[in-house]
Amino acid sequence: MINLECLKVRYDRNSPVLTIDSLRINRHERVAIIGPSGAGKSTLLRSIKGYVRPDEGKVEVLGVNFRSAKRHEWRRVNRKIGLIYQQFHLVPRLTVLRNVLCGRLGYANPLRSLMGIFSGEDVHIALSAIREVGLEDILHQRADTLSGGEQQRVAVARMLAQQPSIILADEPVSSLDPVRAENILELITKVHAHHDTALIMSLHQPQLAKQFAQRIIGLRNGRVIFDGTCDELDNSKMEEIYRGDNIISINNTLAGSRPAEAGSA
Amino acid sequence: MDLAQLSQSGPRVADFLDRMFPPNLATSETELRPFPPPLQLAGKAVALTLQISILGTAIGTCTAFLLGFFAAENLTPHWVHHSVKMGFALLRSIPVIILALLFVAAVGLGAFPGVLAIAIHSIGMLGKLFAEECEDVYGGVWEAMDSAGANWLQKIRYAIWPQVAPQYFSLMLFRLDMNIRDSAVLGFVGVAGLGLWIENYRRSFDYASVATMVLITMLVVLVVEQASIQIRRRLR
Repeated sequence: MINLECLKVRYDRNSPVLTIDSLRINRHERVAIIGPSGAGKSTLLRSIKGYVRPDEGKVEVLGVNFRSAKRHEWRRVNRKIGLIYQQFHLVPRLTVLRNVLCGRLGYANPLRSLMGIFSGEDVHIALSAIREVGLEDILHQRADTLSGGEQQRVAVARMLAQQPSIILADEPVSSLDPVRAENILELITKVHAHHDTALIMSLHQPQLAKQFAQRIIGLRNGRVIFDGTCDELDNSKMEEIYRGDNIISINNTLAGSRPAEAGSA
Repeated sequence: MDLAQLSQSGPRVADFLDRMFPPNLATSETELRPFPPPLQLAGKAVALTLQISILGTAIGTCTAFLLGFFAAENLTPHWVHHSVKMGFALLRSIPVIILALLFVAAVGLGAFPGVLAIAIHSIGMLGKLFAEECEDVYGGVWEAMDSAGANWLQKIRYAIWPQVAPQYFSLMLFRLDMNIRDSAVLGFVGVAGLGLWIENYRRSFDYASVATMVLITMLVVLVVEQASIQIRRRLR
């Protein structure tokens, strides 16, 4: 489903910010990308989305090689890759339903959608996405009146309305408090389990990664230095990933983490 | 500046003000004058001035609305927004009265040259301000729409428009109230409306009627300004 080979991404002439020899992610996998700030987590996600053009190597997503793909091919694949942002990126003055309908723009009739008209099918898909995140009671409320947790749910519903094959989540819970963060990650993993997708999320907190992912990829200085199951991620591996960062807090978070769950949440 | 001239002009100013006062409030012709009294013409003149400014603002706003997106540096490539912005600056650089003078020469006297002059001048200002509103929009929403597979127009419609619409209306009303003032001045170069009558009365030395027309113009501008302030307050 996702196949990266000999990938190198540079933002300027300096050394590459991301170097990946080989990375494959299959359908139904639930992957967490961890690593210190600046390790290349976002760059990796954005490469999979096709927003970052690699300088070398191959990025093949859903059977399309982004380096040689034509624009319309990329657009077709692009709408099948849902992205959940840290800052939600909702349209503040639109209602919950309108925001979720925006997830259908890649499929909707361009001319009709410009006039604000969506087909019955689009509305049906949007409504079932809203039901799935439990916001059916505030359908017509404006997005800027919602709480942080509700806004993130709207963002998840909008992503679901895209009917994605791959769900990317770029630090989806770093602007939420710990309880809300767990709720949202539970929702995202539940949604992933219900739909036929791969889930890749970058997370700042290793304990959340262990709690919610099946496979963990540890990045440091733009290189994959760990790729394995949650059980394989022990203290020494953690220290290797976060070397130089605050080890004590990492040890604490590891001690407090729950055993990895098998199967979907 | 000649101070001597200023000191000597005191009696002339007094005489001038004296001839303006009291304003001519006659509703029918009491004595033989070249033009009918101002209160007889006021209704038509105000309506014409309002029509010129509303139509000019409408044409200017629509054009600026379409071009504004192309002038926003976050929405188009450098060469596009740069050239459109230059175009706006050029339009703004010509004073509205000179535009009117040119259009009077090109299309003749009446209301039409006024509409054109006001429309062209408004495009220059509104286009620039609309583009700046788009540039201030939070970019994350644009990327989120892109991520959903939206095309450029859909992104404009859903990521930009809902966020700039209130400001667009507010700027349009602001421009309308400027245009009403401007269109009164355009009478001096032959555009129909309040200004033309002020100019006609002045030429026939009927200063009492000039005073009435100026007062009417002030009243119209004040009323429109107040209305525009009230509407803009509600848009927020």
